[in-house]
Amino acid sequence: MAGKTGSTPATYSPSPATRKKKRTPIGDADWVRPDNRSFYQCRPAYLRTGAVSTAAGSAYAEFGNTKVIVSVFGPRESKKAMMYSDTGRLNCNISYTTFATPDHGQGSDNKELSSMLHKALEGAIILESFPKTTVDVFALVLESGGSDLPVVISCASLALADAGILLHDLVASVSVSCLGKNLVIDPISEEESYQDGSLMITCMPSRNEVTQLSITGEWSTPKTNEAMELCLGACSKLCEVMRSCLKDAVTDSKE
Amino acid sequence: MVGLSIGEKNFIKGGIAQDMRNDGRKRLTYRPIYVETGVIPQANGSARIKLGPTDVIAGVKAELGKPSQAHPDQGKIYIHVDCSPTAEPSFEGRGGEELSAELTAALEGCLLGGKSGAGAGIDPSSLSIKEGKVCWDLYIDCLVISSGGNLLDALGAAIKAALSNTGIPRVQVREAASSDEQADVDVSDEEFLQFDTSGIPVIVTLIKVGRHYIVDATSEEESLMNSAVSISVNRQGLVCGLTKRGGIGLDPSVILDMISVAKHVSEQLINKLDSEIEAAEKAHEDEP
Repeated sequence: MAGKTGSTPATYSPSPATRKKKRTPIGDADWVRPDNRSFYQCRPAYLRTGAVSTAAGSAYAEFGNTKVIVSVFGPRESKKAMMYSDTGRLNCNISYTTFATPDHGQGSDNKELSSMLHKALEGAIILESFPKTTVDVFALVLESGGSDLPVVISCASLALADAGILLHDLVASVSVSCLGKNLVIDPISEEESYQDGSLMITCMPSRNEVTQLSITGEWSTPKTNEAMELCLGACSKLCEVMRSCLKDAVTDSKE
Repeated sequence: MVGLSIGEKNFIKGGIAQDMRNDGRKRLTYRPIYVETGVIPQANGSARIKLGPTDVIAGVKAELGKPSQAHPDQGKIYIHVDCSPTAEPSFEGRGGEELSAELTAALEGCLLGGKSGAGAGIDPSSLSIKEGKVCWDLYIDCLVISSGGNLLDALGAAIKAALSNTGIPRVQVREAASSDEQADVDVSDEEFLQFDTSGIPVIVTLIKVGRHYIVDATSEEESLMNSAVSISVNRQGLVCGLTKRGGIGLDPSVILDMISVAKHVSEQLINKLDSEIEAAEKAHEDEP
């Protein structure tokens, strides 16, 4: 899995916080998050393109304990059984390694996650640019540490960009958990297991467009507003990190 | 998807822009809802909903099960949607699987609330019989008989109606001599308990066509959609779940506007649905 970016190290040592956001914590702060983050602070993100040399494009993302790898193949000829289409097709698949979660065995909701990934990405890809062909996006969750789907989505858009697929914009995704009265951004598994509700936004920050949004649990309007703003703010910051990662990869390969 | 010519598409779009849809409805009007309860004698509760040509059945079965370790004081609720090939030839074999999975995920997101059980239509702790030992497992199975657009709202309504129709047998726990043994339960076949279904949200799907939103779209109208947002709202006007379909992005302010429109529409829908369910229950009881 040597990086194709040349001078970058081939090992994945987590870099110190590349993304730091600190806002004032909310009023009743008698509860402390398990990893001592403030409520509105995301985990440090480590992103790197070119993780798989045989793929057209690939990316590795590490947000705290959540580690995912996404590779993109294609555009390549659609399966023969498929009907003719003048726009390209997108095929997404998410799988978990058997050691990704504490309890052995794979989750059954991979199909559901795969379709969520598909819906999150299809709005950003200019499918007209590769008629009759299919782009495959394969995501592998190496370690599940919470907020898996948002991390996979962000990582997948980075991989698509690395593969040179035409995109309207990079797609960034962030989720917020509702725990009692508190909203916590970028929840870890432990927080997700006792959350009262969650809100996940996938957006293209420079176009200010939401490509995917899902809410579970009970939400009042002011809370929805607050959570959406929180997510959108985090998305645009994450997108900057992703953009700088892509730029770094290009400058590295030129050297 | 329905194949439409450009002319037909423009005709439908023009109608929507002028608040007069092909079947004479306004943008935010539902088709008449027909509710029938108690259609499946084998199930603990069932209902059939017709919304124009859309026809769905939901059945609820309750079985004794063991609570999960994470939530020993709660029962489990499973939702499954089956798309029958009778509805559309393309559903044959594995063709309906994708749609089934999508609808199942959307219904779970809209009706089951968060992981802790907050915001769920049915309080999962009401399904507990003996903490950590026995609980009710609720299997909600839905069948799409005929698809004429707006399946998700119809399925949501069918589940609500089926749960209002559901009777769970009263259970008595016999005090077992040793606490670590499997709990001994007596299931009554005469006394049944009803659910409190007032908290179950309704699902309102708003489809954005051009600059306008429409509810309860027909399959022709669905084929025009840029994006659809399904929002489940309960009687208190709180959002209990939201899913988005269609890949085209939306401005965040548009989504917030859609949520407020959905809340407004849901008030009428809940009242309409409740009175229809009540009428259906009465008709069911009057039958010999």
